[in-house]
Amino acid sequence: MRYDNPEMRELLAAEYLLGTMPRRARARFERLMRQDPGLATLVGDWAQRFSAIDRATPAEAPPARVWRRIEARIAPHSAAEAPVMAPPAQSLREALQFWRGLAVAASAVAAALIVYLAAVPGPVGPQTPRVIAVLADQGGEPEWIATAGPHSGEIAVAALRPQQAGDMRSFELWRIAGGTPRPLGLLQPQPEQSTVLSPKDLPAPGDVLAVSLEPVGGSPTGLPTGPVVSQGKIIRPL
Amino acid sequence: MADLAQDFSSRLRQLIAKVARRDRQAFAELYDATAPQLFGVALRIIRRRDLAEEVLQESFVVVWERAGDYSAARGAPLTWLTTIVRHGAIDQLRRSASRAEDRTASEEALLALVAGEAYSADRGAELGALQRCLDELEVEPRRAVLLAYAYGLTHEELAAHLGAPIGTVKSWVRRSLARLKRCLEG
Repeated sequence: MRYDNPEMRELLAAEYLLGTMPRRARARFERLMRQDPGLATLVGDWAQRFSAIDRATPAEAPPARVWRRIEARIAPHSAAEAPVMAPPAQSLREALQFWRGLAVAASAVAAALIVYLAAVPGPVGPQTPRVIAVLADQGGEPEWIATAGPHSGEIAVAALRPQQAGDMRSFELWRIAGGTPRPLGLLQPQPEQSTVLSPKDLPAPGDVLAVSLEPVGGSPTGLPTGPVVSQGKIIRPL
Repeated sequence: MADLAQDFSSRLRQLIAKVARRDRQAFAELYDATAPQLFGVALRIIRRRDLAEEVLQESFVVVWERAGDYSAARGAPLTWLTTIVRHGAIDQLRRSASRAEDRTASEEALLALVAGEAYSADRGAELGALQRCLDELEVEPRRAVLLAYAYGLTHEELAAHLGAPIGTVKSWVRRSLARLKRCLEG
């Protein structure tokens, strides 16, 4: 068989990697490759030689439905295992859109929303980020949402609508437990940007998350210096 | 720069090892870290977005099933992933029999990219080495190799696209591959 000839093997591996073989020849080569690991190595070497072209190809984020379909294809078909799956960033964005829609449509007091959130599991499936708190302003309007993840020990906080801090101010998030505020970090005021925080001490149910207006860069003292503009209780553990 | 690339590679390697042990969290992270680059490659080869999405989806199902087959001997992790996507895309092309001329609209963009203006030293040594070796080829053979790699053209399609007899195109590709290998290893 001509596949014994080293030069021919090299050429076939290269042509296979390049993609110039017709369909039937590709299929035949793939069968050979499975029986002959040496051929697979030759193909891998050629892939490495050309890989710089792929690195230089513009990247583009695929739509969220691709990930949902992949998840469905590899689903364990058991509810017990499903929640282990972490959401890719896109699921978070979609969940935020849902909650934003809900917040606008409901235009109810945050308390009612929190009762609703606590009562039902996430609406978009097991991969939906878990909402752990909704932060409302003085009038009871929901302004920020805090979700668990994307990784364990992390909290993602996003505005439900654009927040106006003014040029000289930043929004800072605090965790208040036992009456003592501790700084968690500065927040992005634009709804499409969520802020991921990994606090040293995990907020627990009953703690309060609060947002205050601080000088640019955050409070210089480690305690809130400006007005608290939104707050909400943690309703679920991380 | 090189350190960053190495950190990224070793991170991907760890994730693939976890995926082989059915770690879904690691699989989601692997997807987040690589899907945009891989989707870019799928789109480059298959112009139709719906088909490119399908290829990306099936490729990740393959990754989930075959992560255990990956080893460092098979090359850099991103190259391994890219190879799965490229092969899926090329198989899809061969099935759908879409016309080559519909897929090469951005040939100029590709040639510009590889001709050097779109990248510089910060793109890494690998691209620089490939470019140097491609530059040693003659114009038509170089176009043939690049069109085949970037857009998945067959010998027949290359012949039609470049207006050359198929035998000529085959020998261009053959000689170019041999010269590239010598040059990249030299």
